[in-house]
Amino acid sequence: MIERFLRFSAELTAFSELQLRGTGQAQAYLDAVEGVVGPKSVRELLGAYEEIGVTDREAGLRRKIFGDPKLGPIARNLIKLWYVGIWYQLPRDWAQTYGAREKDRTFMVSASAYSEGLLWPAIGAHPPGAKAPGYGSWTEAPRIPPVPQSSASNS
Amino acid sequence: MTTTIITTVDRLKEYLHRAMQLEHATIPPYLTALYSIHPGTNSDAYHILRVVVVEEMLHLTIAANLLSSITCPNDNGTRPYDKGPNLLAEGFVPAYPAYLPDGERDFQVHLERFSESAIDTFLKIERPASAPDESKRLIKRKAGSAQYLVACPEDEEKQYYSIGEFYEEIARGFKYLYEEKGPSLFCGDPKRQVTSEYYYSGGGELHPVVCMDSAQRAIDLIIGQGEGRGGGIYNKERELAHFYRFDQLRLGKYYRAGDKPDEPTGPELHVDWNAVFPIHKDTTLSDYGESSELSEAAKAFNRSYGRFLADLNEAYNGAPEKLLEVVPRMFRLRDQILQLMHNPLPGTEGQNAAPTFEVA
Repeated sequence: MIERFLRFSAELTAFSELQLRGTGQAQAYLDAVEGVVGPKSVRELLGAYEEIGVTDREAGLRRKIFGDPKLGPIARNLIKLWYVGIWYQLPRDWAQTYGAREKDRTFMVSASAYSEGLLWPAIGAHPPGAKAPGYGSWTEAPRIPPVPQSSASNS
Repeated sequence: MTTTIITTVDRLKEYLHRAMQLEHATIPPYLTALYSIHPGTNSDAYHILRVVVVEEMLHLTIAANLLSSITCPNDNGTRPYDKGPNLLAEGFVPAYPAYLPDGERDFQVHLERFSESAIDTFLKIERPASAPDESKRLIKRKAGSAQYLVACPEDEEKQYYSIGEFYEEIARGFKYLYEEKGPSLFCGDPKRQVTSEYYYSGGGELHPVVCMDSAQRAIDLIIGQGEGRGGGIYNKERELAHFYRFDQLRLGKYYRAGDKPDEPTGPELHVDWNAVFPIHKDTTLSDYGESSELSEAAKAFNRSYGRFLADLNEAYNGAPEKLLEVVPRMFRLRDQILQLMHNPLPGTEGQNAAPTFEVA
């Protein structure tokens, strides 16, 4: 399950599976999303992703994932989860249509989820208050990684 | 009857180069154990390891200062360290597992996860023992052993009883040569001394080595912080010696001032040996198999480490302000190590990747 979750997360975040594992948060995020929407919905989401073919990938992602009223909001939440470590409460519409979930409220997954957010490497900064970068490091330009090419638009 | 082995400046330089090599050689094993601890867990162990590794970095810098203090600007020697500290000399970074001195029996130092066996090795590295008598200070090596870091430079067949004994020899060498040459022994350019203004939160004060007094104090600090001295577990600065810091992890209890070795009476100390990444022991690039994103990350770490040593070398050779730039690089090394350790190593049974410290 963790491998499938990581493959999908790599597509969602434009970070590699190695980088995602490197945050040490993969299992905690999978547990968090399963804890809120239930393992069945997560399987549904990953299954829908895996059915998307290699051709016309971007359209497939839009149609089957982001345009899907049930799966789209969960996928968007996963992107935010990886970037800032916070699960945001799902939209009210979603809860009304698919049923409110007991654990669906806005919460930080863990203390380390903040410092391991992908936001920080994406902007070439360190998380304020954590991972001290050393005195004077601010005199150097931010180390912003190159914008990755979308695997979806490539194919 | 005391015999001085170091009777020439050339030999003293050779010993100081070895001292730098030795101090550095402890850093990859300590860093590997330190970062293998799951972030946010095992805070007692994490802090003990961190203090020790930071002090080893201080000792490396002190050894560099000692070498610089006796390196005359016009030295024409051709050995890699004749013109000053050289972290880039061939073989400076050992191939692990590597040998360090251990009295009668040999042991190897590994790159391995935080574990009881790692702590046992660390205790051997920092062993406080003085040789029982003068004749035992130098020990004949066992045949067939591999690389030694504190082998006696002029006789590769012999090694020192402990790191403390090795530094005692250096102190004797300084005294002998000072008696012969007087203040001209310290012919090094004082601007090459790395001092505390370039070095912060680094485990102690860095004083310039410019005379016999400062040389002796520098050596005393290394011996006192490392292995302890004269049977005491605390040094003059009331810091616990490294050996006893590690000993606390073995015994599950903190030492307090006034305690005797093996009998700590301080608070309990909790160690969770399982809250550790299952990293592969003594990983080399060949363990990474075919080229992959993971093997590239391992190589990228080695390149970063090599650049870090090169920058440090510049700092030790007349550009001490460079140290301030090196510190942020050290934090990035930490992030690279953690990324590797979070990832499974293909071809192993549930083991994770680890930095290999193979510097080209």
